[in-house]
Amino acid sequence: MAFYLVELTKSVTVHPRYFHAKLGDHVIGRLLALTEGTTSGRYGYLIAVVQVERPLPPGRILPGTGHAVFPLRYKALVYRPFLGEVLDGVIASLTRHGVFVAVGPLSVFVSARNVPSDMEFDETEQCFTSVVQGSEDRLEVGTLVRLRIVGMRRDATEIAAVGTLRADYLGVLG
Amino acid sequence: MSGENEDYDDFVEEDAEPELPYDYGDELEEEEPGHASEDGDESNDEFAVEAEVLEDTERGQKPNSAIGTGTQVDKSMRITTPFLTKYERARVLGARALQISLGAPVLVDVEGESDPLIIAAKELRAKKIPLKIRRHLPNGAYEDWSVNELISDW
Repeated sequence: MAFYLVELTKSVTVHPRYFHAKLGDHVIGRLLALTEGTTSGRYGYLIAVVQVERPLPPGRILPGTGHAVFPLRYKALVYRPFLGEVLDGVIASLTRHGVFVAVGPLSVFVSARNVPSDMEFDETEQCFTSVVQGSEDRLEVGTLVRLRIVGMRRDATEIAAVGTLRADYLGVLG
Repeated sequence: MSGENEDYDDFVEEDAEPELPYDYGDELEEEEPGHASEDGDESNDEFAVEAEVLEDTERGQKPNSAIGTGTQVDKSMRITTPFLTKYERARVLGARALQISLGAPVLVDVEGESDPLIIAAKELRAKKIPLKIRRHLPNGAYEDWSVNELISDW
């Protein structure tokens, strides 16, 4: 899992009603609300702001609105998936065409072509089951799997990935 | 002291991306920030004015426009007028009155007064305006002056 600490900047706009002694706390609260939990194709998933540069910079007044803008610099913990990376995840949903695996905030689609070669979609059970005699393995919602990312698309605010379960050591865990 | 003030102050502002790019003073063309905000009271230094370079790049301007690269003139080395010019006064009163009208905490006793502009004038008289003015010089450097240290009772 690729976690990084990155230095980022963010301009936070504050309404005049917060220009009181606790302005600093409010500015930081706004920063957390605006950034934590967001996704960027460039840095990945922003999990937490771990440090805000002090002292806070002076705010600049926006003409015409009375608001103040604070150009903040902060350090954040991000999670960034990479092509070819092997990850563990949980099956979040599934259809005959493939399964969606949740790897933390990342959703990875695994096409039915890429499920393990010994598994097939079972129409009655609505899940993938092993065709090997004696094997209890099945892919259903909640199953823990290990996959490899084989394709990824990064948009400005979204990351989508395609994975495979068809290789040695991949597939159902445990 | 330097007689003619108007040379230096520009008040200017800029904004993040607001639509209204007015510029008040100025001989400098583009430029930035006028001044800033501050937090409420006495501890004026906590939050003071603004910074610009950052905004410049965000807005896609050339990063080395003369102004964006300027540095702050040390407080003891400032050379612009110690008076609040009439332009600065107008800008400060307008900005502060707007903030007050939007609910910013007032730093003086309002004595029943409810007009934001009059309250702002009262704050100016009492030297309680929590703003700083950034005056850009022709060489790109700038000086920051607290409104409260500028002589405004001329």
